Amino acid sequence: MTRWGMVIDLDRCTGCAACEVACKSENNIATVPPHQAEMGRVMSWMRVLAHTVGDFPDTHLEFYPRPCMHCDNPPCIKVCPVRATYIDPEGIVGQIYPRCIGCRYCANACPFTVKYFNWYGPEWSDSERQHLNPDVSPRTKGVIEKCSFCHHRLQRAREQARAENRDVREEDYQPACAEICPTRAIVFGDLDNPTHHVAELKEDPRAMRIMEDLGTQPKVYYLRARR
Amino acid sequence: MIAQRLRDTRGRVRPYLVLALGIALIAAVVLPVIALGSSRVPQPVAFNHLKHTQDLGLGCEFCHPYARTRAHSGLPDVTTCSMCHTSPQGTSAEAARVTELITAGDLLRFNKLFRMPDHVFYTHRRHVAIAELSCETCHGDIAHTERPPVRALVKVDMDFCLDCHRKQGATLDCNACHR
Ligand code: HEC
Ligand code: HEC
Ligand code: HEC
Ligand code: HEC
Ligand code: HEC
Repeated sequence: MTRWGMVIDLDRCTGCAACEVACKSENNIATVPPHQAEMGRVMSWMRVLAHTVGDFPDTHLEFYPRPCMHCDNPPCIKVCPVRATYIDPEGIVGQIYPRCIGCRYCANACPFTVKYFNWYGPEWSDSERQHLNPDVSPRTKGVIEKCSFCHHRLQRAREQARAENRDVREEDYQPACAEICPTRAIVFGDLDNPTHHVAELKEDPRAMRIMEDLGTQPKVYYLRARR
Repeated sequence: MIAQRLRDTRGRVRPYLVLALGIALIAAVVLPVIALGSSRVPQPVAFNHLKHTQDLGLGCEFCHPYARTRAHSGLPDVTTCSMCHTSPQGTSAEAARVTELITAGDLLRFNKLFRMPDHVFYTHRRHVAIAELSCETCHGDIAHTERPPVRALVKVDMDFCLDCHRKQGATLDCNACHR
C-alpha cells in the first residue's frame, strides 16, 4: 500500500523559509491584507515556526517547518458534516473545495492548526493573476484550505507512469517544499516502500512526531538530535 | 414627467400605469439575464465539421493536435486554416468569408464549448490514448455538425464522469479528479 509521507530533518533546517515561499506560489495561496493578518487570518500551508530554547543569553532558535500532518487517524475528517475533507486511499488528507460548506469544524478539530479559512475571496493584482498555477484551483470565499502534499503533482505523475506502464517513482512526485529545500531537510515519498528514502529515515533514532500522544498518527516525521 | 403621467387629471395615481411601468422595469432586468444564462458560445466563422471530417476526410488530430498527448486537445487557429483557405475553396459564401478574413490578417480565435471548472483535473491523454475512448463518448456527434454548436452536445458533469468510471472500474476517489 502506498502511504505518502514526509520526513523533515530539523538538524539540517536553517529556517530560510524557501519552502514557505515555494508553497505559496505553487498553490495560489492568497495574501491577506494587513488588518486581516492582525486578526490571525494569514494563510500559509507550510509555515516555518521558530522556537527559542534556553535562557538568555545562552539561547538558540529551533525551526519547525509545519505542513499538514496528513494524519492516518485525522480528527478533522471525523467532524466534517459533508465529507468535504477525507483521507484518500494513498493516505493524503484531501479537501474538496466545491464540497466544503465553510463550517470550520475541521479547523477547530485540528490540533496542528493547519486548516485555514477563507474569510474573503482571494484578490489578485494583475501581475499575480498572470502567474497563478493552472493546476491548482484558487479557493473561494467561505471554504477551508490546507496543504495537499501538492497532490496535483501526483495526478500528473500517475498519468505519466500509466502511459509508461510502471508505478509512480519517488522522483516523479515531490511536493514544492521538498523540491525547493536547499539543504534537503525535507524528504518526501512512500513511507511503506523500502526503496524510498523516507521509509528508512522514519526509522532513524532521531525520529519523532509532534503531539504523537494524541494518537492522530501524523505522516510527517521530524528528525532532531536529543539535546 | 413620469410622475405626472402616473397620475390622472384629478391627481390620483393610475394603478395600471404603475403596474405597466413595474413590469417593463422587471423585464428590462430579467430578460438579458435569461439570454446570457443560456450562454451561446460565439465563433468567428461558421465552421463545418461535416465537410472537413467527412467530405475531405481530415482526421481530428489535424486540427485538435494534442488529443492523444496532452491534457487539452487544443483548437486550431489561422495557421491551420490557411493551409487551404488562402485560395478560394468550394462555392459557399462562408468559405469565401474565411479566405477574406485570413487575407485581412484575422487570427480566427475559436472559443471553447466544453469547459471544466478549474477545480477539476481532466486530461485527454488518459482517456483518448490510454483508455482508447472515442471522441463521440464525450462530445456526441460533433463530426457530423454543419455549423458550430452553440452549446455542448453532451452534458459533461460529475455524474457523467462517474457513471463511466463505475462501469469501467476506473477511480471514484475525489482527489483523483479534484484539485
Ligand atoms: C485541407 C484543406 C482545408 C483546411 C485545412 C481547412 N479547410 Fe475549410 N474548406 C476546405 C474545402 C475544400 C472547403 C469547401 C468544401 C465544399 O464546399 O464542399 C472548405 C469549406 C470551408 C467552409 C465553408 C463551409 C460550408 O458550410 O460551406 C468554412 C467555413 C471553412 N472551410 C472553414 C475552415 C476553417 C475555420 C479552417 C481552419 C480551422 C479550415 N476551414 C481548414 C478545405 C480546408
Ligand atoms: C479542419 C479542422 C478541424 C477538424 C479536422 C476537426 N475539427 Fe473539431 N473543431 C474545429 C474548429 C475550428 C472548432 C471550433 C468551432 C466549432 O465549434 O465548430 C472545433 C471544435 C470542436 C469541438 C468543440 C470543442 C470545444 O469545446 O470548444 C470538438 C469536441 C471537436 N471539434 C471535435 C472534433 C472531432 C471529434 C473531430 C474528428 C472527427 C474534429 N473535431 C475534427 C476544427 C476541426
Ligand atoms: C472522456 C471524455 C472525453 C473524450 C473521450 C474526449 N474528450 Fe475532448 N473534452 C472533454 C472535456 C471534459 C473537455 C473540457 C476540458 C476542459 O475544459 O478542461 C474537452 C475539451 C475538448 C476540446 C476543447 C479544447 C480543449 O483543448 O479543451 C476539444 C477540441 C476536444 N475536447 C476534442 C476531442 C477530440 C478530438 C477527442 C477524440 C480524439 C476527444 N476530445 C475525446 C472530454 C472528452
Ligand atoms: C466513457 C468512459 C469515461 C468517461 C466519460 C470519463 N472517464 Fe475518466 N477514465 C476512464 C477510464 C477507463 C480511466 C482509466 C484509464 C486507464 O486505464 O488508466 C479513466 C481515468 C481517469 C483519471 C485518472 C485516474 C487515476 O487513477 O489517476 C482521471 C483523473 C479521470 N479519468 C477523470 C475524468 C473526468 C474528470 C471525467 C469527466 C469529465 C472523466 N474522467 C470521464 C473512463 C472515463
Ligand atoms: C471522475 C471524476 C470525479 C470524481 C471521482 C469526483 N468528482 Fe466531483 N466533480 C467532477 C466534475 C467533472 C465536476 C464538475 C461538474 C460540472 O461542472 O457540472 C465535479 C463537481 C463537483 C462538485 C460541485 C458540484 C457539482 O456537482 O457541480 C462537488 C461538490 C464535487 N464534485 C464533490 C466531489 C466529491 C465529494 C467527490 C468524492 C466522493 C468527487 N467530487 C469525486 C468530477 C469528479
